[in-house]
Amino acid sequence: MVSLNLVMVFGLLLLIAVRGLGHFWPATVQSIELAESDGTVSTLLGSIVDEEKVSAARVRGRGDYVPEGVEIITRYLVKSGNRDIAGADFSWVNETDIKSRSIPLDAVVIERDEWGNFYGFLTEVKHSGNVVAAGDATWGELQKSIARKTELETQIHRIEKKEIGKINYAMERLRLREKALQLGGKNDPEVFQRLGRDRVELNSRYNEFNDELANLYAKAGRDSITVTTVTGQTVELPVAKLVRAFRPNKMDLGDKILHYGAKVWEFISEEPREANTEGGVFPAIFGTVLLVILMSVFVTPFGVIAAIYLREYAHQGLLTRTIRIAVNNLAGVPSIVYGVFGLGFFVYFLGGNIDQIFFPEALPAPTFGTPGILWSALTLAILTVPVVIVSTEEGLTRIPRAIREGSLALGATKAETLWRTVLPMATPAMMTGLILSIARAAGEVAPLMMVGVVKLAPSLPLDGNFPFLHVDRKFMHLGFHIYDVGFQSPNVEAARPLVYATALLLVILIVTLNIAAIRIRNQLREKYNAAES
Amino acid sequence: MSEPQEKVLPMSEPLENEPLATDAPAPVDFGGRDVCLTVADLDLFYSEKQALNGVNMSIPEKMVTAFIGPSGCGKSTLLRCFNRMNDLIDGVTINGSIYLHDEDIYDREVNVANLRRRIGMVFQKPNPFPKSIYENVAYGLRIQGIKNRRVLDTAVERSLRAAALWDEVKDRIHESALSLSGGQQQRLVIARAIAIEPEVLLLDEPASALDPISTLKIEELIYELKQDYTIVIVTHNMQQATRVSDYTAFMYLGDLIEFGDTNKIFTNPDKKQTEDYITGRYG
Amino acid sequence: MASRQIPVHISQQFDNELNDLRAKVLAMGGLVEDHLTRALSALGNSDSEAAEYVATNDYKVNALEVEIDEECTRILLRRQPAAGDLRLVLAVSKTITDLERIGDEVEKVGRMALELTTSESPKSYYVGILSMGNHVKRMLHEVLDAFARMDSQAAFHVAKQDPEVDEENNAIMRQLITYMMEDPRSISQVLNAVLAVRAFERIGDHANNIGEYIIYFVEGKDVRHTSLEDIEQELKLSSKN
Repeated sequence: MVSLNLVMVFGLLLLIAVRGLGHFWPATVQSIELAESDGTVSTLLGSIVDEEKVSAARVRGRGDYVPEGVEIITRYLVKSGNRDIAGADFSWVNETDIKSRSIPLDAVVIERDEWGNFYGFLTEVKHSGNVVAAGDATWGELQKSIARKTELETQIHRIEKKEIGKINYAMERLRLREKALQLGGKNDPEVFQRLGRDRVELNSRYNEFNDELANLYAKAGRDSITVTTVTGQTVELPVAKLVRAFRPNKMDLGDKILHYGAKVWEFISEEPREANTEGGVFPAIFGTVLLVILMSVFVTPFGVIAAIYLREYAHQGLLTRTIRIAVNNLAGVPSIVYGVFGLGFFVYFLGGNIDQIFFPEALPAPTFGTPGILWSALTLAILTVPVVIVSTEEGLTRIPRAIREGSLALGATKAETLWRTVLPMATPAMMTGLILSIARAAGEVAPLMMVGVVKLAPSLPLDGNFPFLHVDRKFMHLGFHIYDVGFQSPNVEAARPLVYATALLLVILIVTLNIAAIRIRNQLREKYNAAES
Repeated sequence: MSEPQEKVLPMSEPLENEPLATDAPAPVDFGGRDVCLTVADLDLFYSEKQALNGVNMSIPEKMVTAFIGPSGCGKSTLLRCFNRMNDLIDGVTINGSIYLHDEDIYDREVNVANLRRRIGMVFQKPNPFPKSIYENVAYGLRIQGIKNRRVLDTAVERSLRAAALWDEVKDRIHESALSLSGGQQQRLVIARAIAIEPEVLLLDEPASALDPISTLKIEELIYELKQDYTIVIVTHNMQQATRVSDYTAFMYLGDLIEFGDTNKIFTNPDKKQTEDYITGRYG
Repeated sequence: MASRQIPVHISQQFDNELNDLRAKVLAMGGLVEDHLTRALSALGNSDSEAAEYVATNDYKVNALEVEIDEECTRILLRRQPAAGDLRLVLAVSKTITDLERIGDEVEKVGRMALELTTSESPKSYYVGILSMGNHVKRMLHEVLDAFARMDSQAAFHVAKQDPEVDEENNAIMRQLITYMMEDPRSISQVLNAVLAVRAFERIGDHANNIGEYIIYFVEGKDVRHTSLEDIEQELKLSSKN
């Protein structure tokens, strides 16, 4: 039975890993000649990403030609990119239609910010419309150009996100401050003047940055390249919109591994592009981890205090028994119910009231009266608090009576005994509870959809602007990201491998969180082990 | 006997011409020593069950008094009355009084934590805290709010020396107390108890979980400690009682049967029950 | 507190050991008593065979003493007896020493009887000696009886007789000295008789000692070097309890 379980777990992990990780490998680009039904020949440049066997009848039913006598044919899924030109970047090709296949060495794959990958051949590189490289030198020039563009983009990104973001944040605070003063009925003209001066200053700084930005954008827009598709169509692409260009058929194994590593790194460290189907999932990882940490911060003290009260102070009677039963039953409530509760209680009731009392200047735009990471963490904390209570109580019960009596006999009060002796010894049990709650919380998606998770968050909940941790912001979550990419994506074929990759990442993340907690617990347990035996 | 009795002040009734005070033992001559603890008509009930029946006795100062008796006779219960450890058990009712010198420890005004500082206790199984040796000994002082490192250092060394443990542990005083052997742990627990300089030391079968050599060390230690402390020890080992104690009390089924000089009790006890118990006969 | 019924130990083996010990002491006492009887008969009837027997069989008594002593050591070591048990073992240990001494005295009497019977016929002063011998024999018998029954009153009764024996001793001594003064030729024989009287007097002392051990064992009180009146007082006190 155990081995069966192991086989199932590792089989699942293997499936996810193979499906997900294969996506980042630079596959060979093939040029495929196809015989169309009207007798003409068309050519397709792309890489084969999947294949399947289908019955001929099904293919015939779709109107495709299949020779007589063939019952089962193989179909290939070819990723040929060029969504802007061909309309679709994936196509199924019947094996029977293929006239010939070849591997053109100089085929180029270009990753772009928009419209997906481009598959074709590079002809020339232009600076401000003037051809600077053609023929053999083109490739080197393109790489140089992309490197320059990446460098410029980093600067642009820094200014946009950091400097201008900071100014915007300050402006917003100024506005709210002004409104708060007005609402409070304090019309001290001097203060308003000062605020006005601040605003002018901010505006001028904003304009400076804006000019700098315009300058940088102009610089970045200098280069462009000319490429031809396999069908001979010539297209001009601005380098500013390119992410990366590579020639998979010319790469040796070392190059491919380097490329693979870069892609994987991009996946875990970059923000998503193109409706989450390209780029990375960093905000989702960040959101998940932060959510779990916040949840732990809420659930641990709450659960531990509740357990201490129930075990050490409450009179062991009908009431405590009832509370225990209630706590145990809480663990069985479907998680979506917690989501509804969180939305109703935290978001609308608590958040709404907080807005009324503390942030009236921002109304009608809600500050806390809207789903956010704080409410998500609290909802998960409520969801997992029974686990912490139960295991902490268990730990408190296991502490030998002799230890408590030893402390009391030295003149310690009950509270001192608890604080100095019992609680430190119960920490392994608390950690166990926390581990279990993390394991449960990290995988929950359903309740989060109601209390704070979004498809694409404009900014991380942690940044350089005071107070640095913005618990009112919405956030991205790996679990929700899987759902979103898998079911809400416009480009199903492109998204599928990402679903697997993200799922793998989520599993790895949960395992890592758990292992970290388990290691801490084991260290604590070693420390207190002998006393418990 | 199951009716709780009225609280009676000690020494208020004349001891002679009182044939009704049936089991009241004859007053014991402590050779001029002061009386440290006085038990007066002490009844104790666990819920409905009576565990101590009107115990009257006095415990001399700076002497070792041993309680012996079969399991369940109430000797540990009586011992735990002295520092009010029984307060922790649900459903315990206590009638009567115990006086530490002249102060009733069951008075409403008494601060139990302070009382336990004056009457230390060591338990059957060594129960060091999962902390370093140093922190174990310093525990009681830290509870009292003493933070001065030098004061703590001196107190720890003094206590460990008094418990005859210093030479064995002085090089690893910051290692975990759980790394010590059982006998060392028990001496550590005694050091921990005397670090707060109590007046009385209650020992509840302190050597029953130890090997013979460790037992002898503990007994030797008790002999040393009685210079400074009043010691009350509960033991199942009658040879141990004869070795360490000056006075012995024999208890049976919640009654104090006989209390007197240890030599007398073990060579020529007055009560047949005592004789039958210490000679290993069916009562 | 006449005789005591001892309840059974939890350890049956311990009971067996103690009973065995007591039985051996009684056996040893019986042996010594038997020797004394033979010695008296040798003296009174000029029975040289009996005198020979007594003079050569003391080793049996000695062997029993060593055996019982070992038994006592073993019990002390193994059982660490307390209270009554402890007192029993201590009393036994001392009793057998005194019994062994009695054995030695009886042996002396036997040797003397052997000498007397071979050299001359019984003289008139033998009557007094025999009477004293019979008296201490009775005392020995009584004290062994008291030991068997754990009877402190009987033991006290033995102790009370010690002064009587001393009286008899003095009387016979005076008589013997008179003989020696009347007929100096008889001095060597009379000296033998003096030794016999002295032996009987010692036997009486030892019987008295054993009686004191019995009182110690039964009452838990050390009555050695105590006047008879005080002992009587103590016994009355404890029998009241």
